Amino acid sequence: MTVNNTIAHQRLILSGDRERFKELLRRRLIECGWRDQIRMVCREIVKEHDSNSITLDMLVARVTPRARALVPDPVKKELLQKIKTHLLTQKNL
Amino acid sequence: MNTIVSELSMNDLNSKFFDIIQNENNAEDAANFIFDSVCEDVTLGVLFEVHHGIKTGLTELLEGEKEDEEQFKIVNSPECDVFGFSILKKTPDANCSCPNCERPVSATRFAPHLEKCMGMGRNSSRIASRRIASNSREPTSYAGLPSDDEDDADWSGTLHSERRKRRMKSSNKRNSKIHKSNNGNHNSENNDGATYETMSANEKKNLLLQICGVVSEHTKKLCTRSTRCPQHSEEQRRALRNNVLEPSTPESQSMGLTADDAGSPPDSSPSSSCSSSSRKRDRHRAVPRTKNKREKLSPLNGRD
Repeated sequence: MTVNNTIAHQRLILSGDRERFKELLRRRLIECGWRDQIRMVCREIVKEHDSNSITLDMLVARVTPRARALVPDPVKKELLQKIKTHLLTQKNL
Repeated sequence: MNTIVSELSMNDLNSKFFDIIQNENNAEDAANFIFDSVCEDVTLGVLFEVHHGIKTGLTELLEGEKEDEEQFKIVNSPECDVFGFSILKKTPDANCSCPNCERPVSATRFAPHLEKCMGMGRNSSRIASRRIASNSREPTSYAGLPSDDEDDADWSGTLHSERRKRRMKSSNKRNSKIHKSNNGNHNSENNDGATYETMSANEKKNLLLQICGVVSEHTKKLCTRSTRCPQHSEEQRRALRNNVLEPSTPESQSMGLTADDAGSPPDSSPSSSCSSSSRKRDRHRAVPRTKNKREKLSPLNGRD
């Protein structure tokens, strides 16, 4: 149900809570070293190619799948839980 | 229901949202969707950072210059060390020839070798001095002296006596070594402290020709001054020479005889020994004289 999800997403953005969650996730990922891992992955990719020929699209295409897999489970669970409870509390208002 | 119409008012959004959220599964779904989107955002943020760093050269600055890794690779082969240098090959310059024995010695072992070879070192000087002592032409007459230390204490005749004395106190061993090695050169000088009993007759004689030699009552040592030293009287010297050069024991008497045979300048030898030797000489002369007399007599007898 992409529409339903989009509606919820939209509402979260409007309320400004999405920014809050994003900041929380960012901080958690830095804490657990995820960001450094991603940097190492990027460096490997840069080594394979000439540094001048590297494009952002190429990096995104190659790094994003690995980046999502590298997110630690506890962080993911915590975020999901928080978002869900946030949505549900909205319902009660 | 394909797309959200942009004109959707805040009110519509709210009512729709509440409708959706009624169902818990929908909420879960929405949470997943939102998480994915947020996660993607964060990843993108990091990638932006990295890309920015690469393109502006910031990463290179942070990481420093790229080093040639080939140069620092650890070599893993049995013939080389980790840097790739051969273990077996040694530089030809590493050998010096020893000035003493002219053997090629590796530079790292040169100092220890010199110690052993020339006897400059701490431990090996003992060995070296022993070798020198055994090689010297004159046999070390006083190697068998019971107490070398006493000997050394009074060794004032040499130039470096002061330095020697200082060392003497710290290490007697070392001193005895030096003493032995020098024995050949300073044959008669360095036995001042020794008692007369330990010397042979020749040594006594040589010694007494050079020094006063009177035994001090306090220190029990020999006076090392000249034969005309003012501290001891001529009487004392004579008495001592009488005592020393003509002792009563048969062993030393025989030694005294050999010393007499070797001969000594008459002016320095004590009067008594002088007289004894002259007596002997008389005896030697006396024998042929009598023979001559007999020979002289015999023809007379024959005539008779």
